[in-house]
Amino acid sequence: MGIIILPPVVEDILPRHDESDDSMSVDSDEDVEMSGVRAPKRARIGNQTVSTGVVTPGEVVTDDPQWMRGHGTYMTPLSTSIIATVAGTVHKTNKLLSVHPLRARYTPEIGDLVVGRIVEVQSKRWKVDVAAPLLAQLPLSAINLPGGILRRRTSSDELQIRTFFSEGDLVVAEVQSVHQDGSASLHTRSLKYGKLRNGVFLAVTGTGGSGASSSTTKGGVGAGSLRPGAGSGMGGVVRSRRQVWTVSTHNGGGEVDVILGVNGYIWISKHADGASAASSTTDHVSITRMEEMVSTSIYSSQNDEIPPQTRREIARLAQCIQVLVQGGIRVDEETVMGAYEASLQVDLEVGDDEDEDEETRHEGREYLEGAKSRRILELVVQQVK
Amino acid sequence: MSNQRQASSASQVPHLSPAELSYLYSSLSLPKTPIRPDGRSPTQFRPLTAETNILPGTNGSARIGFADGTQAIVGVKAEVEKTVLANETLARNDGGAGLDRGEQEGSAAVGGHGSWVQMSIEIPGFRDDDALPVFLSEMMRESLVGAVGTREASDMAGGLKERLVINKRWHWRLYIDVLLLSQPLAYPLPLLSLTTHLALLSTKLPKRKSQGEEDPFFDDDWAVAEYLYPRPSLSSGKTNSTGSSFVRPPVTLLVISVGENIIFDPNREEIAVADAVLAISITRDSEAGTLKLLSIRTVDPPSRLTQPGVPNSENVSMLGAVAPTEDVAVLNPATGEEEVPGVWRPRRGGVKRSVIAEMVKTALKKGGVGEEVLEGLEGVEVS
Repeated sequence: MGIIILPPVVEDILPRHDESDDSMSVDSDEDVEMSGVRAPKRARIGNQTVSTGVVTPGEVVTDDPQWMRGHGTYMTPLSTSIIATVAGTVHKTNKLLSVHPLRARYTPEIGDLVVGRIVEVQSKRWKVDVAAPLLAQLPLSAINLPGGILRRRTSSDELQIRTFFSEGDLVVAEVQSVHQDGSASLHTRSLKYGKLRNGVFLAVTGTGGSGASSSTTKGGVGAGSLRPGAGSGMGGVVRSRRQVWTVSTHNGGGEVDVILGVNGYIWISKHADGASAASSTTDHVSITRMEEMVSTSIYSSQNDEIPPQTRREIARLAQCIQVLVQGGIRVDEETVMGAYEASLQVDLEVGDDEDEDEETRHEGREYLEGAKSRRILELVVQQVK
Repeated sequence: MSNQRQASSASQVPHLSPAELSYLYSSLSLPKTPIRPDGRSPTQFRPLTAETNILPGTNGSARIGFADGTQAIVGVKAEVEKTVLANETLARNDGGAGLDRGEQEGSAAVGGHGSWVQMSIEIPGFRDDDALPVFLSEMMRESLVGAVGTREASDMAGGLKERLVINKRWHWRLYIDVLLLSQPLAYPLPLLSLTTHLALLSTKLPKRKSQGEEDPFFDDDWAVAEYLYPRPSLSSGKTNSTGSSFVRPPVTLLVISVGENIIFDPNREEIAVADAVLAISITRDSEAGTLKLLSIRTVDPPSRLTQPGVPNSENVSMLGAVAPTEDVAVLNPATGEEEVPGVWRPRRGGVKRSVIAEMVKTALKKGGVGEEVLEGLEGVEVS
């Protein structure tokens, strides 16, 4: 049980066949010709189309002048060859060639729900890491100041700026505006937003909110699920209707909140609705002060008491998301819940197989790697398809 | 400043909020059943991929990849070198009778020298003379050369440096080059140590044709080269000293303690809340198969440098919202410090002796973690 050592996984050299290729390849003869050009340098097999392999920055995708360059490519003025600027898969739409990156940083858009980490405190604002190329800013004027009612910020608020958020703190916020240079301005002026506590953080890579399509996830399953970023690499959090939801967990875990930041930062925590959050800080609260209580507990950095069952289910949810990411499946409410149910089912299956005593069976059974993760991925793919 | 902190502490400390740290710590310190963020049991390792003999120009090499994407490659090169004899060994040789038995004792008296093993570690983002690579390489080299055999009689039963002796005037010099291929996500010591162990297991030295005190002369045929650490499968066939086939190069495990719990193979977040981080070097050096403790090193736990949490009762932005007497400080049984539940306090370092003893016991005991790791590495096919 202690240690599992696996032989190295040999990358399958055969490129994947996407359904989309067949429908999109306009003229298969031209494709043969193009791969013929590349054939001496790379051991591509047979008459593969351009859109299958992975290209690296600087690699010539094609020399053929009939193609137009799209995202992720460039052309030198003097030649007709299209060169990739990102590492990713080649896609073509009619005669337009573009390279979709395997992983990319998050590009903020107005209205995105993001989870961020404070990295710098300035006099009137915070700098927040949201996995974007530039740090986002959160002005002091864009947060809910304690005291319940909305009010203007005062100089005393500026002085005690660190009592709201200090370095390392996690916040959930919304992108209020995007500047010219692509950096974002955040706000937390809602009771949904604010400081995060009572849970775990995890960051997933992938193409983030840039609209990863689910059709390319096929090859990633099973092949190299132990290595993050392996497979098709098109996972990651996608923009969707619901980024925040509450799971009523099994095994006595109670309710657990999941916040999927569009930027790939994820927060899983014990569910705290307004009333219970208030009552956890104080016992006697009048109904008229309720809102005030809620807004003050936003800036607490003290965790509530969390029972072990809840912690266990939080860990399970976190692992489910990791499994999804490593399998190259997009992360949204549907897939996360699917993976969660699948993990419970897999646990039942495994539990039936083993005839060991209770002690050893519990040993590490919550770890979802290897065979378990593959099974979960299978189940999720079935559900999603 | 941040660079210095990075180099001196156990890993690049991830910026974690006090609430996260507190959650992690309380999950990991749950009595008897810690809940690790990735669901592993306390002694469970992350699955790793391993292969050996990947570098054609070396005497032995290995690659290990952890599931979190960190990878290391180790290459071992051997070189014949003339031994500079110390005065006392010369004197003792003169005094000893020229018997056959005396000659054997003479070669044992040379006994090997720690400087015959050279280790260099390269970690991306660090200079050669940064604290981390230097400290890591010394930590691993020390356990390698420090592993001395218990029985003086059999010539090969000892540690690495005795194995490098060819005769009184010549010896092998080993160059162990460790290359971390990825950013050090967690403290890279266990990864590098496991890889080095595997590389040494696969290391072969050419078969010697010369006898005794002649200048060394070796067989050209690489196929008959002998393993530096004889494999048990071979020993049953032809190696005569059965005792030495059980001797294995040491392996260094990273163990942390959180509260009363002892956790192996910690990931970055777990190290960040550890009360104590120990690097425990173990080896197997006798046919009984029992493990021997070679060294314990404490590693500076990064939890010392973290940001403390603010209890609600002291939080200025929550004034008036909390009854002041609500937070009652309780005594942490492991560290003896007072803390408010749910609020992170940076660890000041220091754990109880019993915890340290338990850590060593878990690593060393029969059927324990150390044995599992060594067996697992033994199982890797050396081709």
